[in-house]
Amino acid sequence: MTQILQKVDHSALKTNQLIIISLNVLAFILNLPILAAFVAVVMGIGSALKVPGFGFIYKNFLKPRGWIKPDVLDDNPEPHRFAQFLGFLFMTAGSVALFLGASALGWGLVWLVVALAALNAFGGFCVGCAVYYWFSRFNLPGFSKQPPAGTFPGMKPRVGVSR
Amino acid sequence: MNAETMEILLRFGLAVSIIVLGAFVYWLINQRLLIRARNNVFTLFNKLPNKPVLVYFTTPDCAPCKTVQRPAIDRVSNLLGEKLEVIEIDAYEQPDLAKTWGVMSVPTTFLLDARGEARYVNNGVARVEKLLEQIQTL
Repeated sequence: MTQILQKVDHSALKTNQLIIISLNVLAFILNLPILAAFVAVVMGIGSALKVPGFGFIYKNFLKPRGWIKPDVLDDNPEPHRFAQFLGFLFMTAGSVALFLGASALGWGLVWLVVALAALNAFGGFCVGCAVYYWFSRFNLPGFSKQPPAGTFPGMKPRVGVSR
Repeated sequence: MNAETMEILLRFGLAVSIIVLGAFVYWLINQRLLIRARNNVFTLFNKLPNKPVLVYFTTPDCAPCKTVQRPAIDRVSNLLGEKLEVIEIDAYEQPDLAKTWGVMSVPTTFLLDARGEARYVNNGVARVEKLLEQIQTL
């Protein structure tokens, strides 16, 4: 069955991941649970608005100045939204743990988000997307998309399209 | 230096350590694979082909091998022609060879230079661009 893919700007996704990594590491270094909670809130807002949480920085600041070039690929946006939502859940759990004084658990969850975001940003593999496609294989309601043709579930699609 | 600054420095050190440790573990795993490949290069051929070799470990039921890795290798092979030798190994048919080379998952690709020395290992799918980039440095 052929599915209609959309244009997804992977530069926006990557910028989002890099900012999440940076802020989380900064939150850890400065021991600022509030900063981790801020990241969680932005990711939550992004999930609700169906956009990358920190995508506005890319859209309004980095892209117009040409500092980061668009990387528009034919892809499904839904798995990326799901991945961000998973990140939001982990970040929320981590922030709650930190505010409750469970530092090891809290920072552990924050570092897990950092590791998964780094795997996506530097390795091109989106674990949340892979989970989405895995749910899709089991026909779970709300998980209807298939990976783009020739793309391993979770991997970044190969073919670049319009810039 | 007050206690607060000390704590920040300590946490900074810890963060750097975690990041460096993650990168180091990944590098170490790859180095271990390359050493194994170097030690076992003659399990593949008796005489060196005197050109770069791409060793590709796969299995018949590996979906990304069929959909991504195989087409990528075909494209690289078409682009480079006789300048590159591709050796495909079915890890099910030759499990001992896969074990000897330390292959833990498929697809895994190794790139050997003309002297038969393993220079790169790619765990998981390696795109055309990456393979070409690696081959150019051999």
